[in-house]
Amino acid sequence: MSSLTTTARRRAVAPSRQGLGPLAALLLILALAYFLVPVYIMFKVSVSSPGEILRQFPAFWIEEFTWRHWEQVLTSGNLWAPLRKSLVVATGATLLTLALAVPAAYAISRLPPRPRYAAIIALFFTRMFPDVGVALPIAVTFLKYNLLDTDSGLILAHTSLVLPLAAWVLVGTFNTIPRELEQAAEVDGASRLRALWSVALPLARPGIAVAAIFVWLASWNEFTYAMYLTLGKRTLPLLTYYYITRGNWFQSAAYSAILTIPVLLVTLFLQRYLRSGYLSGSLKG
Amino acid sequence: MLARIRRWVVRHRLELALVAPMATYVFGLTLWPVCKAIFWSFSNQAGELTLANYRQLFGDSRFASAFLNTVFIVVVGTFSELCFGLFLAWCLARNFKLRGLVRSLLLVPMGVPTLVSAINFMYVFDNSGYLNELLIKTGLATQPINWASGGLRTLLMVVAADMWKVTPSVMLILLAGLESIPEQLYEAAAVDGATPWQTFRRIVLPLLKPAITTAVIIRGIDAFRIFELPLVLAGRNTPFLATFAYDEYQTYHNIHTSGAASTVLLVLILVFAVLYLKAAKEGDDLA
Repeated sequence: MSSLTTTARRRAVAPSRQGLGPLAALLLILALAYFLVPVYIMFKVSVSSPGEILRQFPAFWIEEFTWRHWEQVLTSGNLWAPLRKSLVVATGATLLTLALAVPAAYAISRLPPRPRYAAIIALFFTRMFPDVGVALPIAVTFLKYNLLDTDSGLILAHTSLVLPLAAWVLVGTFNTIPRELEQAAEVDGASRLRALWSVALPLARPGIAVAAIFVWLASWNEFTYAMYLTLGKRTLPLLTYYYITRGNWFQSAAYSAILTIPVLLVTLFLQRYLRSGYLSGSLKG
Repeated sequence: MLARIRRWVVRHRLELALVAPMATYVFGLTLWPVCKAIFWSFSNQAGELTLANYRQLFGDSRFASAFLNTVFIVVVGTFSELCFGLFLAWCLARNFKLRGLVRSLLLVPMGVPTLVSAINFMYVFDNSGYLNELLIKTGLATQPINWASGGLRTLLMVVAADMWKVTPSVMLILLAGLESIPEQLYEAAAVDGATPWQTFRRIVLPLLKPAITTAVIIRGIDAFRIFELPLVLAGRNTPFLATFAYDEYQTYHNIHTSGAASTVLLVLILVFAVLYLKAAKEGDDLA
């Protein structure tokens, strides 16, 4: 009798050996709906006829499929200049960031523990500055040097924004490459720079690629700095925002989709790299 | 002492030379601008030192509500994201069919730019949007609710949108923490006859604390700086500190009050980070 009561009592078991209870499964399904429905609605609005959205009860399912809004986006000519600016700025910011962050991250990872820790804390510290506080003086300075509205100005600003994040990811990468490998090259007569170039850099390539992709996406999405530093030549996010302020739901849905597609694809393909260490710098609210 | 520093610099000259360009860049385009914004906040157009900007802010009811709205988003938003993220991480740590697919689908909001997530929620929360439709059709409301009209409902709308965008990242941080807890601990707890709740309260939660601290610090800092979501969703009726600072510059062309609002935001973030880290540390000593 006593053995029966002890087996009937619920015992703690490691979570990986447990399934989901019905209540948890139901809540999880609701959570999935919460996460997926807004994205569906965006794509739906971009291919819906105005009649099924601009009424008191908008249709949830697609009743009348139309490419009209997408045709308008692609043929109106408004897309290309902002798309070009966004592509140029994101690519330029990525290259400049890597040029600055790769050597610095390598050096930080090779410092003794205490200064290394101090450097990492300093990088994190810069993440505490509010964007609006940094962008304001930059905007005033750029106004003086005619850098507002230029590609190069926005590249400079975006680089300052993403540099700590990139350095953070790259320090983690170089930390995993043993110093002994370079030392072996140095024994064979290579200089330290030569050892960095031919031993450490090739091994760090995957981490550098991940950092580059994160930086590129951060610049592609960036909104606050672009708002401060743009007068007329918009980036893609600013153009999307412009259509919202104009109250054009369908154009903004189509532009939102264009903005989202590359980010969504990369995020899902690279999800195994989305680890907590990398996230420390990349979360944005 | 000086000689020691010199020797250290000479020994690490290569490292220092490699760090120097980035350090200069961060100094010139981040640190220096912040100092400038702080200086502007304490000066007037003639460059004289003054507290007038802060007096003006603290007498402005829009600034007061921006301050309170920001604190509300940080406290309520971060807490809800933590609970929701913990639930999702708890589910994903379990073994069930389609687990990999569910994990991928839960990460979808991370692939949506913040601006776009604001637009998505604009379609949901509009007066004749999908949420009002759902509420009326299920009989939970008889009239469409104007979510952007200000007050608590607007704040809750911003929290809902912020939670959507950020909970997946919080979930990943907590999931990494959960997966690092060795299985033997659960077995030991079972041998000692602990119930699932006791195991959670006495073993999982304490071991999860570093992950929770990371999530709260990172999330809290970003919640203070919230910008796109209120700009698109809440409009002028519901200012936040970042949108207030932007408005002061863009609409009123006043770099001094804008700088003052940014400085208040910076001080808030620093106080929050220091206090939270301190509290987390003291909790450690007690445990």
